[in-house]
Amino acid sequence: MVDLSQYLPILLFLGVAIVLSTAFVVLPMVAAQFTGANKPNPDKLAEYECGFPAFEDSRAQFDVRFYLVAILFIIFDLEAAFLYPWAVSLKEIGWTGWLAMMTFLAELVLGFVYAWKKGALEWE
Amino acid sequence: MIGLQHYVTVSAILFVLGVLGIFLNRKNVIIILMAIELILLSVNINLVAFSAFLHDLVGQVFAMFVLTVAAGEAAIGLAILVIYFRGRGTIAVDDINRMKG
Amino acid sequence: MIQTIAFYLFATLLIASGALTILARNPVHSVLWLILAFFNAAGLMVLVGAEFIAMLLVIVYVGAVAVLFLFVVMMLDIDFAELRAGLARYLPFGMVLALVLLCEMVFAVGAWRAGGVDLGHRLGATPADVPNIEAIGTLLYTRYLYIFEGAGLVLLVAMIGAIVLTHRARSGVRPQNVAAQNRRRPEDAIRKVNQPVGQGVEL
Repeated sequence: MVDLSQYLPILLFLGVAIVLSTAFVVLPMVAAQFTGANKPNPDKLAEYECGFPAFEDSRAQFDVRFYLVAILFIIFDLEAAFLYPWAVSLKEIGWTGWLAMMTFLAELVLGFVYAWKKGALEWE
Repeated sequence: MIGLQHYVTVSAILFVLGVLGIFLNRKNVIIILMAIELILLSVNINLVAFSAFLHDLVGQVFAMFVLTVAAGEAAIGLAILVIYFRGRGTIAVDDINRMKG
Repeated sequence: MIQTIAFYLFATLLIASGALTILARNPVHSVLWLILAFFNAAGLMVLVGAEFIAMLLVIVYVGAVAVLFLFVVMMLDIDFAELRAGLARYLPFGMVLALVLLCEMVFAVGAWRAGGVDLGHRLGATPADVPNIEAIGTLLYTRYLYIFEGAGLVLLVAMIGAIVLTHRARSGVRPQNVAAQNRRRPEDAIRKVNQPVGQGVEL
């Protein structure tokens, strides 16, 4: 078990953030309750699509290309995650560790070049 | 005081929930993949808990590799799901045995 | 004291959100419960002093894997009501199986508590006064070097596999060709003419 008191600043920060964000959400709602008129009708609540009834559901399908970008993001996210302990302990692990990381980066650059050549990063 | 057995119990319950999720949502591949993520998460909790309570760091190093493999598994699994949906228009697991190469 | 409270808070939320992940009616809600479960697991790991793995869990799982799941759920327009049809039918069997599995695990934990398994041999003892992340780095990049390179290969294969599976060459795309752009000179693009008056312009 660790000493949790070192996380007190984070807890305080979290508390302040929650209080502030709640205030920003709740205060306008309260103010609107007291100042504005609230008379909804179906025409007002319908989504606005330039004067005519909506053609389709507002939840549109995503394109597959978003998915490819997300996958590449995961891979490079993990690469960055492996970089943190390497950077911190570079003094102890010496040149062997440095070389190992360079090999690792070269492996991923290989994949990156492949993605680039295949055109997986092209948008339109 | 919280001991190792508390952590092992939590991780066991989470593992069982993951297995149960696979059985309950037998038709929905997305939920099955999420259940597998839950199982891997419980394994990670187990590794980290043992590593912390036995003062042996290898468990945490191994948890990193489990994380890597889980990310790769999610990426490939969802990619297979996407092309399966593209060809078939559904993701029902029952139909996958009709797949022919 | 505060550790005990924090543990029970995180553990309860973890198990509850795990259960809701597999039971939620809407897959988008499932993904959101999964994210909550990952956060609470990270909290549990912070409690035992594995800060780096906890933060990694938040970065990799919440930041990337959960977003990937969300993309796929949004991308595939699926009739989920039909997919849930078998839930009631599989519930008893699944429950029985889960109970058996849980009993086995509790039994295994009990047997382990009773002794018999001796774990005296420590592979990588945790150093006392070194930060968690530095200790992990020292171990990872010395003894587990080859496994680390293997992890890199796993990532490479995952990346290439995902591209091969989902990428389709689409026609009508006009990608930017940097080399051709740089090679282009003013002489290729413009023409200087001394235009006489009254003869019209040749295009």
